[in-house]
Amino acid sequence: MSDISRRKFLQTTSASAVLFLSGLSRDGNTAPPKGYPSKKIGNIKNLKVNEPLAFNYPDDKSPCLLVKVENEAVGGVGPGKSIVSFSALCTHMGCPLTYSKGRLVCKCHYSMFDVALNGQTYQGLASQWVAQIVLRLDAATGNIYAEGVEGLIYGRIGNLKLS
Amino acid sequence: MSLFKRKDTLPIPPLDAEKYTTVCQYCSAGCGYNVFVWPEKRSGTAKSNAFKVDLSQQGQLMSGFSYTETMHNVITRKNGHKYNLAIIPAKESRINKGDYSIRGGTNALTAYTPTGVTRNRLKDPMLRKENGFVAITWDHAVEILATLTKSSIDKYGADSIAMKFYDHGSSGLGFEDNWGAGKLFLSGIKTQYLSIHNRPAYNSEVWGSRERGMHELNYDVDDARLADTVVLWGANAYEGATVFYTEHIMPNLQGGSIEEKQKEFASGEPAEAGRIVIIDPRKNATTSVSQDISAERVLHIRPNLGTDWILANAIARIAWENKWYDNDYLQKRTDMKTFEDYKSKSLQLSKSLNTVLADAEKITGVSRQEMEQAAEWIAKPKAGGFKRRTLTLYEKGIIWNMKNYDQVAAIAQLNVLTSNVGRVGTGCGRLGGHQEGYVRPPAPTPGSIYAGGPPKNVDKYITGGGGKIYWVGATDPYLSTPNSQFFKKMVKKRAANLLDYIDNGGIPLDPKAYTAKVLEAFEKTDGLFVVVQDIYMTHTAQDAMLILPAAGWGEAVDTSVNCHSRLLRIYDKFMDAPGEALPDWKILALVGNKLKALYEAEGNKAMADRFSGMDWKTDAEVFAAGSAEFGDNKVAETDEATLSAECYKGVTHEILRKLGNEGIQTPVRQDPATGKLVGTKRRYKYSFASKDGLFKWYGTDAWTGYPAEIAKYIDNPTYPFWFTTGRSQHVWQTMYHDKLIPEKYLSLPLPYMEIHPVDAGKLGLKSGDMAEVFNEEGSCIALVYVNDATKPGLVFGIMYHAKGTMNNLISSYTDPKTTMPWYKGTKVGVRKYTGKLDDAIKTASLLSNNDFTT
Repeated sequence: MSDISRRKFLQTTSASAVLFLSGLSRDGNTAPPKGYPSKKIGNIKNLKVNEPLAFNYPDDKSPCLLVKVENEAVGGVGPGKSIVSFSALCTHMGCPLTYSKGRLVCKCHYSMFDVALNGQTYQGLASQWVAQIVLRLDAATGNIYAEGVEGLIYGRIGNLKLS
Repeated sequence: MSLFKRKDTLPIPPLDAEKYTTVCQYCSAGCGYNVFVWPEKRSGTAKSNAFKVDLSQQGQLMSGFSYTETMHNVITRKNGHKYNLAIIPAKESRINKGDYSIRGGTNALTAYTPTGVTRNRLKDPMLRKENGFVAITWDHAVEILATLTKSSIDKYGADSIAMKFYDHGSSGLGFEDNWGAGKLFLSGIKTQYLSIHNRPAYNSEVWGSRERGMHELNYDVDDARLADTVVLWGANAYEGATVFYTEHIMPNLQGGSIEEKQKEFASGEPAEAGRIVIIDPRKNATTSVSQDISAERVLHIRPNLGTDWILANAIARIAWENKWYDNDYLQKRTDMKTFEDYKSKSLQLSKSLNTVLADAEKITGVSRQEMEQAAEWIAKPKAGGFKRRTLTLYEKGIIWNMKNYDQVAAIAQLNVLTSNVGRVGTGCGRLGGHQEGYVRPPAPTPGSIYAGGPPKNVDKYITGGGGKIYWVGATDPYLSTPNSQFFKKMVKKRAANLLDYIDNGGIPLDPKAYTAKVLEAFEKTDGLFVVVQDIYMTHTAQDAMLILPAAGWGEAVDTSVNCHSRLLRIYDKFMDAPGEALPDWKILALVGNKLKALYEAEGNKAMADRFSGMDWKTDAEVFAAGSAEFGDNKVAETDEATLSAECYKGVTHEILRKLGNEGIQTPVRQDPATGKLVGTKRRYKYSFASKDGLFKWYGTDAWTGYPAEIAKYIDNPTYPFWFTTGRSQHVWQTMYHDKLIPEKYLSLPLPYMEIHPVDAGKLGLKSGDMAEVFNEEGSCIALVYVNDATKPGLVFGIMYHAKGTMNNLISSYTDPKTTMPWYKGTKVGVRKYTGKLDDAIKTASLLSNNDFTT
């Protein structure tokens, strides 16, 4: 067992919307983020669809979520490319995000982020999409590692710049 | 992995970074922002920076300080050097308290950068030649435009010049630019063919209230927190005026403002968590967010399209029947002579309550029970006999409804009948779209059909072959005008006729030869000389003959007021406009001054005088010049109703700069006792804005069915769906900026429609499909979202989008009393489109945007 918090977030399941991801680039257009720690955050065998795991990354002041969704997701790992991870702080004003029905919801001002589509704000106030955690799956062990963050974690001048 | 380039660190402004205050360029809320500019290579530190925030620690939730990826950019000034630009929400603003929306949060991304997403801003005046546009000098452009304008006035009269200009604030516009446009078009050219922003005529959208003696901006943001009941009528506040909802309405619903109420209310008066009445045919996001907060304090009423004034009158009748009014107030503050007409026509006192309500149920589709509940929440006195405090805000669902005048009048009168104006926690007016900033000489048409109107319909004039020059400023009628498909077709045809004539043998570049040829075309063809003044190449500009590049938000000093407090603030200049672009007032002044010179040269003093008074050197001078229009404002507080709603006489740019985010609320008075400038928090406490200070009642029309433009579709099985339009929280207007910002265009890549699952099932549609929406006016292809926002039988579409417009479907009907269009209602057919634009659609979330439950 890794050192992650395994609090299961309040969530419900439902059929997620049909996605059309076949042509979507997996490579993106940015260089891999640098200077981030590699941290084991879970194992594929322990992940159930729509049952998120909580962990902190890249340090203990940054809560994150790891979740397996029903279909392929941007940045997803695993056989169905459906395992994704995000900062659990709303990019709008830093409130906690709750996973439910394929999206992250903030109950402070009702921003909602689509976890299958790069954490995009599809409704609500957050002008910045939620920061997505770069994942690596070790095929031999099934271990999932967090290895970077794409996008700024709320409340920071830099993701790795807290003193 | 990311769909676009992300940042994981942001530059820090040093302590000595330049600091400016501004207000968001977008919606009516008018959130305060602070702007920081500093050389690209310099940096503050986590502990020592211009934000005065310790950035070495994890920021806390709801701290009021936010600095995100979308709040930074790198700009280049005219000196060639690069600077960091940070635009962050102002914690000290009582409007937003550090909160911000998805629109305002991207203000920094809209800044012009020579190599970034905004690089294609208009930079030079451009003249259409044989094979497209060529850049020309301002002297050249002004000579052409002034010469053509003068010749056209002299030969065909002033009405040969038609214009369509914004008249509002924000977006880099405001009092300065509006005074410039007013001087040129209203004092100088004096054409009657004026039109505002996106609509076909030059009119107030709320003459139905103003002609009662009540300007529509009469409340304060505090009233949304202090009201017992907030009514949102055709006003999607969460998505349209977002921070006003989240900072002022939402806390009230949550019970977070009860302590404030206890302080402000009378002794012993009940103070509870607020209620909200939402009258909207859609279950929009405002409705479902409110329901998620407290379903039992939300009443959602969904009237049939076009029937709201019947509903308002029915609710008023219930209040009347229950004696939920203050007879003393009615006697003292309202005109009891006109009240008879209201009682007879609006309240229909000659008919029994049962008859009136049964009729209203049939017309509006709203049940009697819902009407009674609405009446209770709006008007029923609280325990102890205290008057209820209700703030009623309406917006496009009402003003762009069928029968604009009667709709607005009915709601205004419901609120005055129940004393819900001028008290703490009350008010009745617009939620607003833009901010405001209107100061102009008197318009040719002062009011509705009851007050010297209605104004001319410029769209019908232009499409019918009228006019020679059509000057469009900061609006894109090909997308935004009603019946836009027909409008576009006709303007395109007339522009092509002109081009074809002058292109015969080559288009001369020399201004004299050029204008001579255009004047010849005016004589020989129905050609239209289209001028577009804007910050980007617009859809309409594709057919322009002359394009004039304007400065945008932050590139000139502007002033505006927001809608929810009439809070006047400065929107300071913090960067240079691209290329040769100029503030709108300066462009208008260049043409005005040239016209003056041309008339002087031929000794026509009378005409030259019409164009005098435009030789301003600075934005501050224009602001000061406009203030004279407001007349004497040395009046006591009790006479505030005699002042124009946006009166700022005595206020200067310098004063506003000192006030910063605090601002001052219009109408501003120069207090007779102290001589000091005093703002007005809330209006009509003492009297209304009529000659005798009394509210003027009006008996609304009876229901007579739908106008011919819509009636032709009723019972026609080809067009089975009612159709209405609205906006998305994400994108502003035609997406002129947002189409360039990945956070926006990836989410909303295409125009979209919403359809109920029952109807979608019948048509074989699912979310992510595409469909053609069509009727006899036009069509639009849209991305489909299947959700429960609409009722079965009703289809919703985003009003317009950079890639298409639903206004193609909208009829040419306007209210005969005001010339206001009915943008929000028609009938359509929907057919599934067999193709699919996968590459665009794959980045669009198809999750339901009105389901916030977890």
